[in-house]
Amino acid sequence: MELFFIFVAIVLTQNFVLHYFLGICPFLGVSDEMEAAFGMGIATTFVMTLTAIITWNINNFILEGFGVEFLEYVSFILVIASLVQLVEMFLKKYVPELYQTLGIYLPLITTNCAVMGLALFMVLRDYNFVQSAIFGFGAGVGFTLALIIMAGIRSELMEDAIPEPFRGTGITLLTAGLLALAFMGFSGLVPV
Amino acid sequence: MSGTVIISAATMTGLSLLFAALLGFAHTKLKVEEDPKVERVEEALPGIDCGACGYPGCHQCAVNIVKGKAPPDSCVPGGDEVAEKVAEIMGLDIGTEPGKKLVAVVHCGATEEFKQRTGEYEGVESCRGIELTTGGNIKCEYGCLGYGDCEEACPFDAIHVTNGLPEVDPDKCTGCGVCVETCPRDIITVEEINLDGEFVAVACNSPDDGVTIRKKCEVGCVACGLCEKLGPEGAFEVQDNLSQVHYPEIDEEMDFETAIDKCPVDCIVSLSKPTEEG
Repeated sequence: MELFFIFVAIVLTQNFVLHYFLGICPFLGVSDEMEAAFGMGIATTFVMTLTAIITWNINNFILEGFGVEFLEYVSFILVIASLVQLVEMFLKKYVPELYQTLGIYLPLITTNCAVMGLALFMVLRDYNFVQSAIFGFGAGVGFTLALIIMAGIRSELMEDAIPEPFRGTGITLLTAGLLALAFMGFSGLVPV
Repeated sequence: MSGTVIISAATMTGLSLLFAALLGFAHTKLKVEEDPKVERVEEALPGIDCGACGYPGCHQCAVNIVKGKAPPDSCVPGGDEVAEKVAEIMGLDIGTEPGKKLVAVVHCGATEEFKQRTGEYEGVESCRGIELTTGGNIKCEYGCLGYGDCEEACPFDAIHVTNGLPEVDPDKCTGCGVCVETCPRDIITVEEINLDGEFVAVACNSPDDGVTIRKKCEVGCVACGLCEKLGPEGAFEVQDNLSQVHYPEIDEEMDFETAIDKCPVDCIVSLSKPTEEG
């Protein structure tokens, strides 16, 4: 049950994008097209899940084993950067269309603070291995969910007559804010 | 203390090496087998991603050329030179004939002293702006406004407005047609000229009849038809109150001196040809 709570919490009540406001760059950058948003979500989920699994091992066995926990930032970034490289190679080979669509945002997963935040939260909250894996996967699902909702709203907005000063980034940021407010409605759903 | 430093360094080095090995392995496993031709074609293309070929950028254009979906002369700004290189890489013949070049031609001859301004304009310094707001501030509804939107739009620095009229640098011009789309009065066209013939143009774009045009502009084509009669055979044709040059007909034997001299409104101009083929 506790694992389920962790999952629901990170997807809905404590969504990385809409609760912690982490990973806003890809959230705003890739959310204008449904297909790209979904692809970005999947790629990020993949990176996040693997990051959670690998960083947990590194933190528990290597960093704590040698007593050098202060290296967590550096080593976590190393993990994330390598994973992103891996995803990039994978996509370029097997899904070149998505690779073209994501463009610059793909290597930017490296600097997606939601991924780094995930690794640091995990350590902070003292999650065990299974909890970490669920947490990482849930964070990715939550990120994908936020991206897809945003992409849906933005594709609707494209048809609307938006007042001149709000066009472009303005309306996007407003939408993101309202979406975050809406997600506050989930608070209290699970005891975390 | 020094123990911690050594352990930290060792840990990070170890981790880095581990991931380096992993990525190195993945690189060999996941290597993309891209047709080496794509890279060579892309190198031959200008790399400006202008989109004139219909693809988002030079890379996609190269990919489609190699796949055979696009002809080797897809690149509009690259012209003959690029098309030849690409065709060579692909082992294909190109469609465009050598000795021809696409060049933008300005169809207005009203320099600043000939423009009959109807009023002072103090808005945004742009032809499109003035055309939209006031419909233009010269008497002729078809003539060049001279605010230089084409100069600004040209990606190759090939068109410059001097004395109220754009001049095309035929060497820099690639015939990409950006200026054609930019000009609100459709004064510019892109023509395929024969490099061995003379390069002349009718510097007027007005379909008004002779009487009307005399009231608006001193250098507007009155469609008298003298060029048709006195000029080389087949080179000029008067249509819709406007003389037009048949560029494909022009060859090296044609002499335009009489036509240029006899034009009562000095509307036929001789332009400098591109110096090099390509």
